[in-house]
Amino acid sequence: MRRRWLNLDSPVFEIIFTMDLLRRKEGSGGRVLVLAVVFGWCLGSVSCFGQNLDSELTFLLQAGKSECFFQTAIKNGTMEVEYQVISGAGMDVDFTIISPEGVHLIFESRRSDGVHVVEPTVEGDYEICFDNSFSHFSEKMVFFEIIIEGQAGDVTGDEEWPGLEEPDGSLLEYKLDDIRESMDSLHKRLERSRQMQTVLRAFEARDRNLLEDNLWRVSFWSCASVLVMLCVALTQVYTVRKLFDDKRRVCS
Amino acid sequence: MMLATPAAGVVLILAWIYPSHALYFHIGETEKKCFIEEIPDETMVIGKYRTQLWDKLTDSFLAATPGLGMHVEIKDPDTKIILSRQYGSDGRFTFTSHTPGEHQICLHSNSTKMALFAGGKLRVHLDIQVGEHTNNYPEIAAKDKLTELQLRARQLLDQVEQIQKEQNYQRYREERFRMTSESTNQRVLWWSIAQTLILIVTGIWQMKHLKSFFEAKKLV
Repeated sequence: MRRRWLNLDSPVFEIIFTMDLLRRKEGSGGRVLVLAVVFGWCLGSVSCFGQNLDSELTFLLQAGKSECFFQTAIKNGTMEVEYQVISGAGMDVDFTIISPEGVHLIFESRRSDGVHVVEPTVEGDYEICFDNSFSHFSEKMVFFEIIIEGQAGDVTGDEEWPGLEEPDGSLLEYKLDDIRESMDSLHKRLERSRQMQTVLRAFEARDRNLLEDNLWRVSFWSCASVLVMLCVALTQVYTVRKLFDDKRRVCS
Repeated sequence: MMLATPAAGVVLILAWIYPSHALYFHIGETEKKCFIEEIPDETMVIGKYRTQLWDKLTDSFLAATPGLGMHVEIKDPDTKIILSRQYGSDGRFTFTSHTPGEHQICLHSNSTKMALFAGGKLRVHLDIQVGEHTNNYPEIAAKDKLTELQLRARQLLDQVEQIQKEQNYQRYREERFRMTSESTNQRVLWWSIAQTLILIVTGIWQMKHLKSFFEAKKLV
């Protein structure tokens, strides 16, 4: 039982499958062309089950605006959404997830980060919205990640890379299956590590932006403070002098 | 077989530019949308997009947009433009980073209408893949003649290499973070000392100046 590995491979897997098909079916060119087009189109537009999809984006959300992103989900899958505000004055944003039927599944007001899991998902487009309308001046940089998993458990997928040679494993087939299982589990865990790294990177970016803001603020206010002090000193001296100047002399 | 090549070609093209399970979002005709990708150096990034135009007559999104292209602009962490090209309504752009940091990917349609009159809405399906996700494994297998297990091992190696690159980049960022933090602390310290000195000096100057002023006025 082999599991699918990369989501991007599936249309390409289709190429190999189709080429194999073409090799075998001699003399039915027209039908094969139609088959190829339909297959390529279908596989492109239908999400294959058992896959692990992951999209992450970082974007700038202007003050007073709202941005929405749509993600297509399959039936009975899992969708995990994680977001974080990495830059901006208040470091918070309104977050909403709307299901394909129009139900507001999750609404969070003025949060700086969050993780949500929608399970099981219905077939359709989920809408994920970030709202910065409460802020009039500060623009926020928001990072979010969507991880979609197909049906967990039994995945009777087709061969991942069928056109390839296999080592002569008839005697060692059971051993090869063990190796494949552990490689598969390793692959999944490495993907998860990568996702964790992405999240940590977002945290670090947020802290770094905050620190750079602080540095700028410290420099600015120090200069302003020094200028104010000097102005006040000069004004004081001038005022006192003014009091004792002119024709209005105090007794000399 | 005469039709084998075009058939394979069609499927290849569809697979090449079709961001199948991607996110999509709406963008105005003259609006520019930017995304930020923070990546280590020598990392390849492939972005695929597909656009659909809102049709007022049928009140839905058309399957393909004739004539409307997208302009893609990519800036490196030093805000230098590394890619600025026009693509069709479906396209694929790729770049490799040479400096680690925040790269900015901006998309806007090449509509020539003015912002006030362009009321159209575009639906853009976007898929950005970074690092070893950009590798085309069946192609690598064909080129290096690998068996299935060898290919899987290669994939695992690529994954680990990418994780390692991210870790190194994380270390570099942490170092920069520490430098900024120390610089801030230094600044706070020196500015406090400087301000105290300025206050003392100003106070002494004020006293001396007023004393000499009053003495000159024969008040003291």
